[in-house]
Amino acid sequence: MKVEEIKVSLRDVRRAIKDFYNPDEWHFVTVNGTDLGGKVELKWFFAKYGEEEVFTVFTSEASYEDEIPTITYIIPSAWIAEWELADLLGLNVEGAKKGLFLDPDSPKAPLRRG
Amino acid sequence: MGNRITIPFGSQHVALPEPIRFVFQTENEKIVDVEVDVGYVHRGIEKACMTKFKYTQVGYVVARVCGLCAISHTLGYVTAVERLMEIEVPKKALYLRLLVSELDRVHSHLLAMGHLAEVAGYENLFMHTFRDRELVMELQELVTGNRIQFDYATVGGVNRDLSLEVERELREKLKDLQERCLWLKDVFENDYTIKLRWKGIGVITPEMARELNVVGPPARASGLATDARNEFNYLPFKEVGYKLITMKDGDIYARNMVRAEETLNSLEMIFNLLDGMPEGDIKVPVKGLPEGEAFVRIEAPRGELFYYLKGSKKLILDRLRIKVPTFSNIPVMKELFIGMDYADVPATVISFDPCLSCTAR
Repeated sequence: MKVEEIKVSLRDVRRAIKDFYNPDEWHFVTVNGTDLGGKVELKWFFAKYGEEEVFTVFTSEASYEDEIPTITYIIPSAWIAEWELADLLGLNVEGAKKGLFLDPDSPKAPLRRG
Repeated sequence: MGNRITIPFGSQHVALPEPIRFVFQTENEKIVDVEVDVGYVHRGIEKACMTKFKYTQVGYVVARVCGLCAISHTLGYVTAVERLMEIEVPKKALYLRLLVSELDRVHSHLLAMGHLAEVAGYENLFMHTFRDRELVMELQELVTGNRIQFDYATVGGVNRDLSLEVERELREKLKDLQERCLWLKDVFENDYTIKLRWKGIGVITPEMARELNVVGPPARASGLATDARNEFNYLPFKEVGYKLITMKDGDIYARNMVRAEETLNSLEMIFNLLDGMPEGDIKVPVKGLPEGEAFVRIEAPRGELFYYLKGSKKLILDRLRIKVPTFSNIPVMKELFIGMDYADVPATVISFDPCLSCTAR
C-alpha cells in the first residue's frame, strides 16, 4: 500500500486540500475523527482512481472547542462526513447541523472518551 | 409559481425498504427542495466495538450492522486487522472469502433489481427476481451454515471449509441460476415498458459522479471506472476473471444494467474459483494484539466500504470507523432530486439500492 500522509495544522487544512484535490484523479473517501482524550485527531482520506492501493491522507489535530473548517467548498459531498463528526464527536464543524445521525434524546457526542 | 406542498417520503413508505426520511418541497409536482434524515436506526455499533468487545469478537459484531452486507462488513474488518497485525491468510481462505463475497453480491444485486421492478409496477418480474435470489440464499446457507448472519470470515481465515458435496451442489445450482440470470438480464434489458420508465430518469452525469464522489454501481453506471475490487488488493479477483463494468448513461436503467452484468460476472468468477480452488489450510492462528492503524477499501454490493481501525496493543480497539456506500451516495441523491418530478422519486431512490442499517449502524 502506498500512503502519503500529510500533517497540516487545522488552520491550513482547507488550503492544503484545495491545492491537492483534483476530482478527476482522486476519490474523497471520508473524514474520520478519533478522540485522543481532550483533543481529536482528524484524517481526510483520498484514494487514487484506477490505481491499486494509492492513498493520500491529510492529518490534523483539533481541540473540542476549535472550529473545524469545512471542505464542502472544494468537495461538495463532504458535508455528510462533517455532519457526522458534529453528531458523534460533538465537534464544531463550520456549517454543520446536528441531528442527522442522532435523535435529540440520544447521548451527546457518544464517540468522545470519558 | 404553483402551490408549494411538503411531502414526507419515509421513514416508512411502501416503496422504501429502509428507514430513511426525505422531506420534499414540491411545486406543481416538481421537487424544489429536499431534506434528509438518516438517524432512525442508529445503534452505536462503532462505540460498542470500542468499549465492549475484544478485537477478536468485533468481526462478529460488525456482521450485525446489516443482514444484507454481513459478508462485506466482516471481510472489511478482518482484512484491516490482518493488515495491521501482518497476518498471512492461507490462499484457500482467500478463495473461500471470494466465493461468499460474490455470492453475496449476486443475492444483493438480485434484490435491488427485484425492488426496482416492483416500484416500476412490474410485480411479475419482481417475483421472478426474488425467486432466483432465494436460490442464492440457499447456497449461502449451504456454504456458511447460515442464511443471513453468516459469520464466515474470521481473523486469520474462514470458519468453515467447502466439502465436496457442497461444491457439487453449488456447481449444479449455480448453472441453473446462471441461465435464469441471463433470462432476467434479457427482460430488464429489452422490456419496452422498463425502457420507457427508466431511460433518461434520475441521470447522474459523469461530472456529478466525480464531483460528488459517487461509489458502486451508480458510479459505474455514469462511466466512472471505480471499483475497490480493482483498486484494492484484498482478494484475488484478477485471478478468477473479474471485469470492471461501466456504462455511460447514468440513469436508472444503466444502474440496473450494471447490476445485471455484474451478477453474471460474479457467477463466472465463482465457477472459475471453484475450478482453481487451492489446497491447504483455511485458517492460521492469531497471536498478539493490534498496534497502530490500518484502513481498507472493500467493494460491497452497493459500493465502496471503508474500514479504519486503530489499536494500542490492547484487547479493545481505540477506534473503529465504518464508512458505507450509501453514506457516500446520499449527497448525490439529494442533488438529483432537485428539479425532478415527484413521481420519479421511488424508482430513483431504489435504483441506488440504499442501505440505512449500514449508514446509521
